[in-house]
Amino acid sequence: MKTFFQLYLSNLREFSRNRLAMFWSVAFPVLFILLFGTTFSGTSDTTFNIGVAVEDSGTIGSALAQSFDGVQAFRITQGTTADLLEELQQGKLSAVIVIPDGVSAAVLAGKDANVEVHYDPSNQTTSQVVLTIVEKVVGGFEQSLTHQSALLTIQPVTTTVSSLRTVDFLLPGILAMALMQLGVMATAPPLVQLREQQILRRLGATPLSRSMLLAAQVCLRLTIGLTQTVLLILVGSLLFHVHIIGNWIVLAGFVVLGALMFVSLGYLMSGLAKTQDSIMGLSQLINFPMMFLSGLFFPVDMMPSWIKPVINAMPLTYLADGLRQIMVGATPLHSLQFDLIVLAAWLVVCAVLAVRFFRWE
Amino acid sequence: MSAIEVQDLKKFYGATRAVDGVSFSVGRGEIFGMLGPNGAGKTTTTEILEGLRAPDSGTVQVLGMDVIRHPQDIKERIGVQLQTTALYPRLTVREVLDLFATFYRGGKRSTDELIEMMNLGEKQKTQSKDLSGGQRQRLSVALALINKPEILFLDEPTTGLDPQARRSLWEVIRAVNREGTTVFITTHYMDEAQTLCQRVAVVDGGRIIALDSPDALIHQSFRETAIEFDQKGTKAPEGTYRSLQGVTRPAVRENGHVTIYTENAALTLGGLTDLAEAGTIQFDDLHLRRATLEDVFLKLTGKRIRE
Repeated sequence: MKTFFQLYLSNLREFSRNRLAMFWSVAFPVLFILLFGTTFSGTSDTTFNIGVAVEDSGTIGSALAQSFDGVQAFRITQGTTADLLEELQQGKLSAVIVIPDGVSAAVLAGKDANVEVHYDPSNQTTSQVVLTIVEKVVGGFEQSLTHQSALLTIQPVTTTVSSLRTVDFLLPGILAMALMQLGVMATAPPLVQLREQQILRRLGATPLSRSMLLAAQVCLRLTIGLTQTVLLILVGSLLFHVHIIGNWIVLAGFVVLGALMFVSLGYLMSGLAKTQDSIMGLSQLINFPMMFLSGLFFPVDMMPSWIKPVINAMPLTYLADGLRQIMVGATPLHSLQFDLIVLAAWLVVCAVLAVRFFRWE
Repeated sequence: MSAIEVQDLKKFYGATRAVDGVSFSVGRGEIFGMLGPNGAGKTTTTEILEGLRAPDSGTVQVLGMDVIRHPQDIKERIGVQLQTTALYPRLTVREVLDLFATFYRGGKRSTDELIEMMNLGEKQKTQSKDLSGGQRQRLSVALALINKPEILFLDEPTTGLDPQARRSLWEVIRAVNREGTTVFITTHYMDEAQTLCQRVAVVDGGRIIALDSPDALIHQSFRETAIEFDQKGTKAPEGTYRSLQGVTRPAVRENGHVTIYTENAALTLGGLTDLAEAGTIQFDDLHLRRATLEDVFLKLTGKRIRE
């Protein structure tokens, strides 16, 4: 037991003094969540730049134009129709409202009059929101003209909708990424280094048993995995108010499963790569596709369909999906049991192959 | 019972015969050396004895145990220093020693004692990646001494050490040997083998080409004295030195440095002086010396050990 403890402690010292391994497994995920969290968690400050061109020379035209000033979501620019339409085309404006000549005259004569709204229909969110607001403003203006009270008014009742913000979606994904990098970046290359520099060989010349050596290494990796989890959850909940709903024990179990799976993958990789150069290449070759093709940063259904088979082949997809369900109650891609089974299967395959290909020298 | 008993050991790597039928035995309490150039099979032989490598054929008994069948059993009782000295790169000297101490059960040397023995006091808090080659070498020897081993295996332990550090390591080796530890050491330094070892196996190309005490090796091969000098000016014609009186074998010429072996130094020196007076040769820095293991190796293999 003393041997195990000393070995564990030594591995911990070795790991914590290794800046590269520390960066990939601890700093990198935290940086990620800080970056994405800051970018996506702010309250949406949606203002639209709207151009208003008043061609009408009467009082009603200018009064209608003024009533748009009262809309908080609009930042109004006045100008000629031609100028404003050009700015719309350049993308500087979200929409242009044109009040044509003769509107005042028509309204005073009790006839219908048109207000034109120019917008880009391809930008759906903007166009829908802007059109709705414009309709409402014009409607209100009309009521004030005719002095009719509206028969129906809207009574706003607020309720919290449990929709996921981007940062809620990202946090479990980044945890999954961190666990993957723990195995791929922070286990495989240091292991090859231990072998290349014949440190494993030197340990082999002592009575130390090999299973003890491996047990201490794997336990250290699990500790790091759980530390990453705590760290990311702390950053997520303290800075970005991510609400963790899941059961802690289920979460810890899933994290341990994921960490074991990727650590065995790391061991397998270290057995396959001959030199330190080749393990660095192999690590990146696995790290990057996993990072971007496992739906960590955006929902899988946003990806083109031809890439779906690749996504479904990645074990990280299932870890991220499972963690998202447990941590923030995201809509499941697969059932939790299915995620669990896929990860366990990957673990068994990687562990068996890792033992098969492991080399001490 | 001998400490080490090796019979007809063979280990081939493809076409390379790393160890090609080696047999010897090492007595308890002996300092036994394997002397030979790089690639002679010293490291492979040592690692087989340590239980780190399996031979293709042959038998090995270390402390009466069959290390080929039970490589794990012997490790508690031997101390090993490998030629590659890398250790956990980011652990300090003291941390590495403390860690390795937990691998052994029996009576141990304390970390403080080892640091003192190997003169590592100033470096005890330095991470091993920041040690110089010589310091790492000393740490590596310290690790081999932790468990008060019955046999200490040292594979080229003084490579990379400055002369003073080499001599102090020899002192350590003699001291643990006086306490009863058998020492098995490989080296390609002649002087090391000559001053340290009670018996030396001279190896080349995976075979033992001579095995005896350093003095006996020299006396068997050489009753001659070596005359050495730097030749100046024009080269003497081939065979000039061989024909001098007392000379036993063709002279060895290397970059203007000449070694002549003679049974009768006085006669040969007289002949040399005559040649110089006649203007046939010019020489500088002439001196006589007794033959060494270097000469033995040169005679047995036709080459110098450090080529």
